[in-house]
Amino acid sequence: MTQEPTGYQRIELPLQSSKGVSAPAAAEPDEPWRDEFPAGAMEWTDEVSRRHFLTVMGASLALAGATGCNIRPAPARKIVPYTIQPAEITPGVPLFFATAHSLGGFGTGILVRSNEGRPTKIEGNPDHPSSLGGTDAIAQASLLDLYDPDRSQSPTHNGLPIGYEQIIQAVRKELYVLGEPKKNVRLRILTETVTSPTLASYILKLLNDFPQAKWVQHEPISRDNVREGSRLAFGRVVHTVYDFTQADVVLALDADFLGFGPGHVRYAHDFASRRKVRVDSREGIKPDQMNRLYAVESMPTSTGSAADHRLALPSSMIDSFLRDVARELGLSQVPPSGPLPPVVQSSVRPIADDLKERKGRVAIVVGEHLPPTVHALAHLLHHHLKAVGTTVRYTEPIEVRPEGDRLIDLKTLVREMQQKQVDVLLILSSNPAYTAPADVPFSEAIRSVPFKLHLGTHQDETAVLCEWHVPEAHYLETWGDVRGHDGTVTIQQPLIAPLYGGKSAVELLADITAAPYREGYDIVRDYWRQRFAAEKRGGIFDIFWQESVRRGTLAGTAAATITPSVQTDWMANAPVLPSAPVEGQFEINFRPDPLLYDGRYANNGWLQECPKPVTRMTWDNAVYMSPNTAARLGIKINFRWTGGEHGRAEVPVVELKYRDRTVRAPAWILPGHADGCITVHLGFGRTRAGKHVATTPHLPNAEGKPVRGFNAYALRTSDDLWGGRGAVINVTSQTYFLACVQGRWYTTQRDPISGLEMDRKPVRYGTLDDYRKFPQFAKIPPMAAGEWELINENVPMPKGHEGHSATTSHDPEHSHKHHHEAAPGNGHNGEHHDGHHDPRLRPLTMYKPTETLAPDLRPEQRRRWAMAIDLSACTGCSACVIACVSENNTPVVGKYEVTRGRLMHWINIDRYYVGPEDKPEQLQTYFQPRMCVQCENAPCEVVCPVGATAHSSDGLNDMAYNRCVGTRYCSNNCPYKVRRFNFLTYADWSTGTLKLGRNPEVTVRSRGVMEKCTFCVQRIRYAEIVAEREGRSIRDGEIVTACQAACPSGAIVFGDLNDPDSVVSRWKKEPTNYGLLAELNTRPRLTYLAALRNPNPKMPKGA
Amino acid sequence: MPQVFPKALNPIAKVVVLGFPLLLGSAGLTGAAFYRSSYATGVDEILPQPVAFSHAHHVGQLGIDCRYCHTSVENSSSANIPPTKTCMNCHQQIWQGADMLAPVRESYRQDKPIEWNRVHNVPHYVYFNHSIHIAKGVGCVECHGRVDQVNLTKQHATLLMEWCIACHREPEKFLRPRSEVFSMTWTPAKGGVWQPEDFFHADSPEAQTLIGTPRPTTQQELGALLKEQYKVRDRVTLTNCSMCHR
Repeated sequence: MTQEPTGYQRIELPLQSSKGVSAPAAAEPDEPWRDEFPAGAMEWTDEVSRRHFLTVMGASLALAGATGCNIRPAPARKIVPYTIQPAEITPGVPLFFATAHSLGGFGTGILVRSNEGRPTKIEGNPDHPSSLGGTDAIAQASLLDLYDPDRSQSPTHNGLPIGYEQIIQAVRKELYVLGEPKKNVRLRILTETVTSPTLASYILKLLNDFPQAKWVQHEPISRDNVREGSRLAFGRVVHTVYDFTQADVVLALDADFLGFGPGHVRYAHDFASRRKVRVDSREGIKPDQMNRLYAVESMPTSTGSAADHRLALPSSMIDSFLRDVARELGLSQVPPSGPLPPVVQSSVRPIADDLKERKGRVAIVVGEHLPPTVHALAHLLHHHLKAVGTTVRYTEPIEVRPEGDRLIDLKTLVREMQQKQVDVLLILSSNPAYTAPADVPFSEAIRSVPFKLHLGTHQDETAVLCEWHVPEAHYLETWGDVRGHDGTVTIQQPLIAPLYGGKSAVELLADITAAPYREGYDIVRDYWRQRFAAEKRGGIFDIFWQESVRRGTLAGTAAATITPSVQTDWMANAPVLPSAPVEGQFEINFRPDPLLYDGRYANNGWLQECPKPVTRMTWDNAVYMSPNTAARLGIKINFRWTGGEHGRAEVPVVELKYRDRTVRAPAWILPGHADGCITVHLGFGRTRAGKHVATTPHLPNAEGKPVRGFNAYALRTSDDLWGGRGAVINVTSQTYFLACVQGRWYTTQRDPISGLEMDRKPVRYGTLDDYRKFPQFAKIPPMAAGEWELINENVPMPKGHEGHSATTSHDPEHSHKHHHEAAPGNGHNGEHHDGHHDPRLRPLTMYKPTETLAPDLRPEQRRRWAMAIDLSACTGCSACVIACVSENNTPVVGKYEVTRGRLMHWINIDRYYVGPEDKPEQLQTYFQPRMCVQCENAPCEVVCPVGATAHSSDGLNDMAYNRCVGTRYCSNNCPYKVRRFNFLTYADWSTGTLKLGRNPEVTVRSRGVMEKCTFCVQRIRYAEIVAEREGRSIRDGEIVTACQAACPSGAIVFGDLNDPDSVVSRWKKEPTNYGLLAELNTRPRLTYLAALRNPNPKMPKGA
Repeated sequence: MPQVFPKALNPIAKVVVLGFPLLLGSAGLTGAAFYRSSYATGVDEILPQPVAFSHAHHVGQLGIDCRYCHTSVENSSSANIPPTKTCMNCHQQIWQGADMLAPVRESYRQDKPIEWNRVHNVPHYVYFNHSIHIAKGVGCVECHGRVDQVNLTKQHATLLMEWCIACHREPEKFLRPRSEVFSMTWTPAKGGVWQPEDFFHADSPEAQTLIGTPRPTTQQELGALLKEQYKVRDRVTLTNCSMCHR
């Protein structure tokens, strides 16, 4: 340190919970001590002398022992019972309510857990067609938004609190005279995409009452191209619904259908159902039924990573690719295509042949940002390949008003505002000041509107431009309705009264159109009562309503299937495709952030800190580019000592220039990205999203602004919302540090310190052919000493059950013979002479620990909880990570702490690459969720000096937080690196609203305590108590861990290994089952099923 | 070098040498005793309450069942502190003007809960569940004492972990037939005959043979039988960390 020793200075932080954001980034490398103590940590404010130090240390040592001697173990507390207890509430027993989370207008059915009236966890609704029990990370994290302390807390007029009634009076004064609408008021209503029938009825009523009124739907992640594509193909707007259970071959064109867009949770479920190859006939599929996915995309996504063949192609060339495929399929009238890179060009014919061969069982999914002609061509191909009716279904549009172009509507609105042709502007839960394209001057134009009212959850960028603001109720606070990806309506019901007196859009419009004030319940219910009567549904409305709300779906509301006739006249006007790109210029892609979406979740700490699928980036966005592009630009990532495994990465800042607009942004090298183009994620750089998470006074972004990441909307133009050519990159000398928890990690990795080649084979993978030849390919004998005999078949099976009986192909002799033939090169060259199996595959222990753990326990009460994860089904979507955070009260630590390797997530979704990083078509990506594997021989337990981590009789590796003294020996000794240590007081003990959202069944950990995955022991014990109370055994599937429940593709199972018929037992008997680092003889209870891919042998080599 | 200490100090030195371990030991013992004392644990301490509710009167004299107020004790972790409405069920009719009940009436009228001071206060990292203890035949008395004789509610047991563990290690010493769980006065010596409610599955053959026959009259015999009958798990399992901490 070159500075004068000034002692530890207190860094004044504006806020409590912005943990770890305390450092000025510029000052950081020179002054590392500045970040020693983020908010909430104990700090020294005085100077330190040697004498003083010794005094304090001596006293600390003396008092350290005394800290355990609180006179009372628990502080005095109050009990506050109800005055009149609601009949359905039993304190201590959670309730679940069905509702729906909506994004971009499309709802996903969820069940929300309510602990004594506080929503604490979101699960998927198995009855909802868009969910089938799964959720995504955003829906999981939307719970935190409810408790966001930065939410707008009061209606305001020019920033000053005001009564809601006064606002309504003011609006009504503008719109009505003596209760009659002023016909000439030029009213504009700006909303997101609306699928809610109730909200639409009020908007339409307003449009009806005011002939001059217009309704503008602004959606930054717009589906204009999708709608326009269907209009080209069919002459009208139709909605496409896929059925991936029927699809043998799927072609995804820049489409992340497994991780994004309407119905993606359902699609992930359906797609994965054709990936789970099983020997056991009771579930999964046979090898012949495995589907095949081709992904052609510019930016690597979850879908591309799950694909059997992934081709990297800039988005602008994808149209060419599909036209070539179409021509190959015999559609000769297809317009001419542009040039394609050779490796992609040579893949066209095999892909087309594959599609032709599986005629009728193929699906082509097109990314919503691709031009309408690509969509139209895909529709044409669906018809041509007879896919309509099997894998693809067309329905009436889901949106209330599908016609029109959203962007043109917005531009028209802005022009009208500039020309002072707007009298009253109502902005309902939209944030155009932030999300409008850079060349649409919304923020300037809005100033000339005389009356502007904003309804939003935050005092955001748009709210400050409007003199009137009404806080919006969160969707868990209010009644509403929304349609799913197939049109099914869900009545959204509130779980809690509005925390800050917020109003929903429906309530606001209802109050404006017709005082007196009405509750959301009455509004939504009355709407459906009228619909019920109008549609002449039989029965009693009250029963229909009750049942619909309870189930979370309204029967008979799915959009009707239609069979539109396909047209080809659009081909004449199809755009001529661009030629090869200009050297030195890049194609830029604007994409929604996989977790922050369009930026509305920028103040959500869970989503900000969750490593993004594929990129594994936290807290920031970056300019993503391929290794080749980076090499051309001379961009390198400096991982320091971490080797890219966790924590800090220092990257150059680039000046990104596009259409005369410039931003400064950190660059990031992403293997698998298409060459010659770059991708930036929208949703960052928000200035008014909230002060707790989104703004960072002490950690400025690459532009020096106190916000998270850079704002990519500043480059986005309205001529092509999704990007285009002509971006110029100048590398600056400035560096910026990013918190990317897994910069680059190949299954084979050179140790950054010793230089040794390491390959533990953490992820095991094979092709369908490998599997057919030798199903046990994932069991690599020298590495799996403990695994073959013990993990797979397991220790004390109930009497009468023979480990080998379940699967014939599991016969070791048989498989070893195959093994020698099929895979001689993987290190196994030992002899096998006992005719049964390899003698080295004996367990490395004489004991069977689970038997000795509780010798007196009745055999029927013995449980061995275990988990299995199918890597073939995992898409790395991160829903499990957020579900775990929500269920287990995991704290948010902040970007700076993440760069020190202190991310507290109990689940890490490791991403591994196989193949050369500069050849995207050969690069394979695998995901592996890694949490505590609950070793039977747990290395952590033997080193704990205080017995804070110990084995339970049912095989869990228990962690007693209150006993932990924080030696971290266990973490050092854990080969899986799944233990997380509270280096500082990460849990927020002070923000009241955040406390409401915590799971009361899990201890909130404090500083100095180790924590880790417990297999959701609170759920296990709860189910155990219920079962024991009823005098029965726990049923298989009764306990569902948080990650398992959230997983949209059903990649995780949990259950009892002592039950040979439990799903987890069956999975573990599969030949692809293997244990991570099982060669250490830890005997993990969590094992993996090796990832299977189904490549097309006819594809060109390396693709 | 001359001696620093005169010889006369030798006895004192001996006393010090001998007494030091004693001192340490007694300090330790005192500490341990203090830790377990009612002062530190709060046993028998009477906390001020907004209403001077008497269990002795309601349970002992009137004979109201525990579950009339503590409604969820059989199916939830929490036994449930009764809402004001429960008090008012009776006190709308009787003692409806009593001064003592003014806070109850006030609470009911204003719809503002009565804030009781917590008597049994376990730390936040302890997850105790009433329902499973009731289901497995642990009587209310075992932890709460003779509530029917206590005027102002107080803590009966230390609630220290060693106290919990004592029972989790040897549950058979504390089990009673399920039909006697809520009884304040039951002892094994009272015997009686097996009731259908004593069993999880009264129609099971084993229960059928027992129902109507006299129960064993010693805790040793009865406890062993009940432990088997109620499938109470072994001492190792019952003392797993995650049984109570999660």
